[in-house]
Amino acid sequence: MSKGLQIAVGAILVAVVLGWYAATNLESLGSFTYYQTLGEFRASAEPGARVRVHGWVEQGSIVRDVETRTVRFAVRDDPPHAGGPAGDLLPVVYASLETPDLFQDGAEVVVEGELSSRGVSAVFRADNVLAKCPSKFQAEQVEAASF
Amino acid sequence: MSELGHYALRLALLVAAVGVAAGAVGGLRARPEWTRVSRRAVGLTLALVTLSMAALWFALVTHDFQLRYVAQHSARSMALPYRLAALWGGQAGSLLLWLWVSLLYAGAAVWALRRVRLRSLPWAQATLLANAIFFLVLLNFVTNPFEKLPPAEVLSDGAGLNPLLQHPLMTIHPVMLYAGFTGFSVPFAFALGALAAGELGSTWLRVTRRWTLIPWFFLSIGILLGGRWAYEVLGWGGYWAWDPVENASFMPWLPATAYLHSVIIQEKRDMMKLWNLVLVGLTYSLCLFGTFLTRSGVISSVHSFTAAGWFGFIFLGYVLVAAATFFGALWLRRGALRSTNRLESVLSREASFVLNNWVFMGILAVVFWGTLFPVVSEAVRGVKISVGPRFFNTMTGPLGVILLALTGIGPLVAWRRASPASLRRQFRLPLAAGLLTAAVLLAWFRSAITLYPLVFWSLGGFVVGTIAQEYGRAVRARMRGNGESAPRALATLLRKNQRRYGGYVVHLGVVFILIGIAGAAFNDERLENLSPGDRLEMNGYTLEYLTAKPLPQRHYGGAVARLALYEDGTGVGVLAPEKRMYWLEQQPASIPAIRSTLREDLYVILTNLESDGSATLKIHRNPLVNWIWIGGYTFVLGALLVLWPHPERRTVRGE
Repeated sequence: MSKGLQIAVGAILVAVVLGWYAATNLESLGSFTYYQTLGEFRASAEPGARVRVHGWVEQGSIVRDVETRTVRFAVRDDPPHAGGPAGDLLPVVYASLETPDLFQDGAEVVVEGELSSRGVSAVFRADNVLAKCPSKFQAEQVEAASF
Repeated sequence: MSELGHYALRLALLVAAVGVAAGAVGGLRARPEWTRVSRRAVGLTLALVTLSMAALWFALVTHDFQLRYVAQHSARSMALPYRLAALWGGQAGSLLLWLWVSLLYAGAAVWALRRVRLRSLPWAQATLLANAIFFLVLLNFVTNPFEKLPPAEVLSDGAGLNPLLQHPLMTIHPVMLYAGFTGFSVPFAFALGALAAGELGSTWLRVTRRWTLIPWFFLSIGILLGGRWAYEVLGWGGYWAWDPVENASFMPWLPATAYLHSVIIQEKRDMMKLWNLVLVGLTYSLCLFGTFLTRSGVISSVHSFTAAGWFGFIFLGYVLVAAATFFGALWLRRGALRSTNRLESVLSREASFVLNNWVFMGILAVVFWGTLFPVVSEAVRGVKISVGPRFFNTMTGPLGVILLALTGIGPLVAWRRASPASLRRQFRLPLAAGLLTAAVLLAWFRSAITLYPLVFWSLGGFVVGTIAQEYGRAVRARMRGNGESAPRALATLLRKNQRRYGGYVVHLGVVFILIGIAGAAFNDERLENLSPGDRLEMNGYTLEYLTAKPLPQRHYGGAVARLALYEDGTGVGVLAPEKRMYWLEQQPASIPAIRSTLREDLYVILTNLESDGSATLKIHRNPLVNWIWIGGYTFVLGALLVLWPHPERRTVRGE
């Protein structure tokens, strides 16, 4: 076997093993998580299906309940400071008091969880909340966080 | 003063262009006087850019808010060190810093080699200056740090620096990273120069090895400091999140480290010449690519990339041109880079180094793919995606095991072909050390230990056994042969063969770091809501929540919680995690309180002060984290041993 062929065979072997390892381990671990916008979520919402939904925290909607250890808030389609109408709000119940630093009014959030039921009484039961800072600071944020 | 900086940048562009042309003439026509012109152009460009740096620093220190950059990245309330550090708090300033540091390297390399007659020298100088031209074009025409605000927009105070960056570690971490990134332009330029001139003997190798070690040293420190900063400031309980910004700094480190190993094979056995050049090209291309990733905004969203306009496209274009030039030249010269020797046996030092290179490339492939996949997914399918730390941990874990094993195996295997007898003799003690570690761990933890810590810690014992045996044998041989005392034999050893024995110290540092990382398998965390007077028990610790007080008003406010900490019933002090709010930037930040011992860290975050007076606290117990920093210090010590100038060898080799 020529040296080039040996290297090619070696590289393919390594790639196949890594690929196989990735395929068997990662799907089940949920390492790759897709997320939907609030609009996309509404169009396809199924109660009980685990999803990640992206939106913004409605101004003044955050209520922390220490007794039940929950945080309630509402998520909207557009950033509040964009000035548009709020539209339909998605009520969220987050079953923990552990909110990220940047979680505040107007913050860009991704909520992870499931819809409780169909219809108007439906709430989104979140078990994970990720937040970015309000987008008016985002440009600077991205830049400053770069190094 | 700012005008001075502005025009210095303009002039530097002109000088660099002249230098590139002079270098090309010097290279093509073999005219030393033109080579001299291009060398002076390197020096003059450096002087002009130094002037720009001074001008921007002056503007930041004197609050010249007429400049957009000063207004956006500093404020009157900031202390002097942070005003100086604000120079690299934003886009234009970091590019200027990048350019300046890369020119310092270029100037130093060109100065060190001024008496060496090399046909590749003018080409290398032209490459270094061409690289500077790219950054000068960006700084002059796309993102100018000396851009003035329209008079109507000039305010009496600036917007301030991102508060999370206002930390002592953050004043040096970016500088270290840049001292790493930019320094790889020197081996890149000298390798490309050697390819252009067809001068592929051992000279470029000597030059590139030394000039790879220096940036590699700084990049390693930069990565470690970044982890430390994340741990102490970001308040999420960890030190490494596989964030794209972190990955961007880690990616070039991988081929650079692979190169530092495989270059030894080239020296000893004249093999892997082509491959070593590939690694040199890959390292600097990844430095540029990483900077592109983090600076263009493409990572946060493809849309913010296209919205940002010219900057990203110019940068991406340059990355591609630089890589294509290098690898194109390599392709044209491939015939001259054939190895005279072949791999003789799988049981040889060479083979273990080749495997080591493969593993580094495997880790690189994983990190590259995981970092880029969200961008590709969004661009091609329009689907937003995030790749979590789990992907990286799962994929790199087994590769890390192989790498750690090789750290112990490599030094034990002979060059060319190892005989079974020598293998038995060499492996006996290190293997016993590894097995003993495993036995002790199993007896101690019984079934409580999981696979990864068991494997990592046992391999750690094996590697330490290898290093001890290598040192022990060499010291004993000197004591017997030269009649030296043990400390004297050790000192001579380090002086005579600093690369080998310094390298072992670096390995020891890596072992400590991996031991610390494997400790994460025992991490433990709790979220608690405590009212004043409440107590919390956790693994022999007792935390009593005393009070919360408002922080003294500065450029940030907020609250600090005070918690009394008891270990096994005895009071050991007060932990005071803070929840800050930076007024100017409207940015909250949690500063954790950490009780750190060699065994473990207790890491307390004040998640929120509730309206009823209670505090919501997140408490992490992170075993062995301290070993990561201890490993870092050991690593730096070892790297310094390797780098330390060696007067005897210099005269011998005429370096």
